[in-house]
Amino acid sequence: MLAGDWLTIILSTIIIAYLFQTLWSHEHAAKVQIRIGNKIHAAYDLNQQRDIIVPGPIGDAMIHIRQGKVRFAKSPCHNQYCVHQGWLTHSGQVAICLPNQISLELIGAQKPYDSLNY
Amino acid sequence: MRKWPLRLAVIAVIAIGIFSFRTLKQEPLYHTQSYVFGTLVDISIYGETEDRAKLLADHVLQDFQALHNQLHAWKPVSKDQASELGTLNIAFASGRKPITISPQLTAILTDAAALSLQSQGLFNPAIGHLISTWGFQRDEFSAVNIDDAAIKALVKIKPGMSDIVIQHNMVYSTNPNVKLDLGGYAKGYALDMAAGYLRQQQVKNALINIGGNIIAIGQHGDKPWRVGIQHPRKPAAIATLALLDGWAIGTSGDYQRYFMLDSKRYCHIIDPRSGYPVQHTQAVTVLIPPQRNAGVLSDVASKPIFIAAAEDKASTAARLGIQYFMVIDQQSNISVSKALAQRLDWLDPEVNNNSHVKLVTLP
Repeated sequence: MLAGDWLTIILSTIIIAYLFQTLWSHEHAAKVQIRIGNKIHAAYDLNQQRDIIVPGPIGDAMIHIRQGKVRFAKSPCHNQYCVHQGWLTHSGQVAICLPNQISLELIGAQKPYDSLNY
Repeated sequence: MRKWPLRLAVIAVIAIGIFSFRTLKQEPLYHTQSYVFGTLVDISIYGETEDRAKLLADHVLQDFQALHNQLHAWKPVSKDQASELGTLNIAFASGRKPITISPQLTAILTDAAALSLQSQGLFNPAIGHLISTWGFQRDEFSAVNIDDAAIKALVKIKPGMSDIVIQHNMVYSTNPNVKLDLGGYAKGYALDMAAGYLRQQQVKNALINIGGNIIAIGQHGDKPWRVGIQHPRKPAAIATLALLDGWAIGTSGDYQRYFMLDSKRYCHIIDPRSGYPVQHTQAVTVLIPPQRNAGVLSDVASKPIFIAAAEDKASTAARLGIQYFMVIDQQSNISVSKALAQRLDWLDPEVNNNSHVKLVTLP
């Protein structure tokens, strides 16, 4: 065993560990995080077609995930602002249903901002 | 071959080392969301242990809830107990007999009256009856039957902050039509209160967002806190900017509380001169440099600029001492003061390659 072998082993280990961390965590970068009240309810991969029922304090909301985008499809709230918000596509975008205390936030590899002024 | 266990051990140690280094590097950022003030409250605290950050955030949220109960314009604390503001409104309506209010509410009313004067009455928290007529003093509001005569009558009786007489902690109104609604003040006040509390607790870095109004303490690690400004007609941010230590930002928009009637939009921001919701503006954003009441100004100052006619917006901003502001009108034209334009990073591609962004100079 030469010094070079050791170097190779150490370097490959570092590279593998680094690649594993980077690629593994970025593979499913685009996610939607759903909160009910002050609790994180769930996070879903955006790269799928899926309908999710989220139970809020005033009733069930229907969330649609369609290959990279997400929206409130149905909500028991009165004004339907959340449904009118339409599709969210980019990291950092947020849709909130205040009456039903449900929020959707798109989470990506990089967050373009820490908080939203509205 | 007896050296193999040693080599494997070395590899394992290195791998574990790399993993733990990356884990340790993970940000000490605590983030929580809650619903207070009928809106979303979002608190980020950076650089504290999770346990301490949670305790601090919970304390801030409890303070917010107490303030909400105290200042709520239409919800009583319980079945037979009005909020402090509700009690005051009942006293105003029933005559000139002074009642005692808390030192805190005294300070709020004094400050709100000064700001109302400075805005030449465009910021007017005394028009609670008008706001109620338009149906906005409800958690779930819907289109109302517009009663022109009632609205005209409510404008004619001219309720204003100057009708309120404050002597020490005693207060009365010379006009029984004054009904206070601090909806355009309380969130900003809560921001200042929370920032003051966190600084007093030696918190170096935090970002507090109450229903879109944001104040910053310190920064996010080695970078300033960054905030996005909501596009009034798209579910996305139109621009971002760095919110430096002590700065606050607020937006008044026609897209958060409104109803549609005959395809016209009626938003919750009412022009006290006409009694009608403002329909010429989609959004006004103000950025406030560090000062004692930066949070209050971020909440209050956007309203008079929103209400003022297009040609009066810059002078209204100047009168309030606002240098950093952006106006998006009903045709989606954007006007930005030069000072704010220098700080914005546009996200909306339509803005970048479009000429509908106009720089405005303060008079």
